[in-house]
Amino acid sequence: MTKIRSWALAALAAALLAACGGNDPEVAGSGEPAGAPTTAGTFSAIVSFGDSLSDVGTYAPATSITGNGQPPYLGGKFTTNGAAGTVWVENVAATLGIITTPAEVGFAGQSVHCPAAANPALANTCTAYGQGGARVTDPNGIGKATGALTVPLKTQIANHLQRFTKFRDSDLILIWSGNNDVFIQFGAFAAAATQIKTDAATGVISSDEAGRRLFQAQSAAQEEMKKAALELSGYVKDEILAKGGRYVSVFNLPDSASSPFGASLPADARGVLSTLVDTFNLWLRDGLTGVAVQIVDQNTKAKDITANPGSYGLTNNSVPACDGTIIGALTGGRVTDGSSLFCNTTTGAPFDALRTGASVTTWQFADSVHPTTGGHRIISDYVLQQLRAFGWIK
Amino acid sequence: MTQTLRPLVLGLAGLLLASVAAQAQESTVKLGVIRYTTKEKTNGVTGVGIPPGADASVGDADTLLFTYEYSFTPSLGVEFVLGVPPKIKADASGSVAFLGEVLTARNVAPTLLLNYHFMDPGSRVRPYVGLGVNYTRFVRIRTPYAWDVQMSDSLGWAAQVGVDVAMDKRWGLFASIGAAKVRSKLVATGATVLQSTIDFKPITYAFGASMRF
Repeated sequence: MTKIRSWALAALAAALLAACGGNDPEVAGSGEPAGAPTTAGTFSAIVSFGDSLSDVGTYAPATSITGNGQPPYLGGKFTTNGAAGTVWVENVAATLGIITTPAEVGFAGQSVHCPAAANPALANTCTAYGQGGARVTDPNGIGKATGALTVPLKTQIANHLQRFTKFRDSDLILIWSGNNDVFIQFGAFAAAATQIKTDAATGVISSDEAGRRLFQAQSAAQEEMKKAALELSGYVKDEILAKGGRYVSVFNLPDSASSPFGASLPADARGVLSTLVDTFNLWLRDGLTGVAVQIVDQNTKAKDITANPGSYGLTNNSVPACDGTIIGALTGGRVTDGSSLFCNTTTGAPFDALRTGASVTTWQFADSVHPTTGGHRIISDYVLQQLRAFGWIK
Repeated sequence: MTQTLRPLVLGLAGLLLASVAAQAQESTVKLGVIRYTTKEKTNGVTGVGIPPGADASVGDADTLLFTYEYSFTPSLGVEFVLGVPPKIKADASGSVAFLGEVLTARNVAPTLLLNYHFMDPGSRVRPYVGLGVNYTRFVRIRTPYAWDVQMSDSLGWAAQVGVDVAMDKRWGLFASIGAAKVRSKLVATGATVLQSTIDFKPITYAFGASMRF
């Protein structure tokens, strides 16, 4: 009996020893993608998916000066439009000697798929799917109610598969989506927060209760960001990689709190905006862990640009280069929010919405959230640098 | 920490094995109550969307205690201590105090101690000191929030001082104060991922009855 007891204790000691191995809980979003190509590709198409940052002219007809959808157009891209007013997708394509054109052009229920195909030589160039206002999954993007197409990422990918059947090794596939989900969820949070703060200020609820409700409202918005990020990573796996995509790079989101829009917010709201971006990026990384893609960390890069504008040749990163008052006048009062979609900086009438003293190259922002031509050049320089680092381009 | 503990655990195991060869001396079982108090310290609660200064504090807990000690010399014994897993509660504090109770869990904490007993075996009052290891596993972790909470197991030193008071040859009373190193990494996954490392720094106060055989 004694022996048995002693052995039991010895066995317990051994069990304790065995238990002391690392059993730290898994932390979501702390992994890395794995298995993307490490050799250079031979690319014949840039296939880009996303929102206004990657939009190469979907809504140009909406900016028709005559108002009939025909040229000349005031703008069409969410930047400082003009002869040299290219966005990052176009810059990357030009560097690689590839032509890329809008997958769809139109507004207010009328649109044309692949207008470039009118010239048969360009029939395969319409692989720029980014549309201003577009979200990851929800077709009701920003501006949908006033005519924007806002075809979501999910459908953008489906449209590519419908037209080209599959993805190819010669496709350089670039995905940058989720910004508008941030803005939609931030808007929902801000509306809830306003009510909660009013209730707290008028004594309807205690300050502790207000804190709880604000936390819940923020958590609900974060939950939606998590959902969108995991949907995005799901589409990348199931609809792109599984359907032939090989050179696939997914960009995370820059912190919109650093934009003029973010700067206009009260500090606590600005913090929530950053939180929604960070939540999306966390789950995007988690969803892409072990997946054969490369992530371009736009968030870290944008923080560096904000902190060190001079190293990127920027002299102003807080004021929109486009003058909202001029845009309002040029559009007959139709556009009141100063959207750079209608901002053309070509000198002389009927254009030139450039703010007095502003520059399209050394000022970072065209409007409250979109980059100028110079801002886009910084983005494309970084994307190209990353593509070289991946070994995908020379 | 794990590395430094290994020799200690091996030493204890060695003593146990050595004792097999020795003549059987005696066994003591104790039954009592124990208060588990914590002077816990965390590295804060961090995560996307968690404001700076967020923290949590752990409350005290009471439970029943059972120990078994095998004495292989008149003054040395190996004691195995196990309590009915108490429910520990954590309240949010700092900048997120409004969240209230955020977590409950039960800790299964077997402890193995090498005790040294002062005075002669026949003495009515025998103080003792003990040193050993504590293993703590957190189970039945619950939270009112939509989080999946994981807590790592803890392995660390344990120590106690106590006194036995004999009523007769068989029955007695005891009281003891113990301390241990109990440290756990907590990860709560929901809309975001919260992390904290909790150093519980428990101090235990126990008393009860003992029986020798």
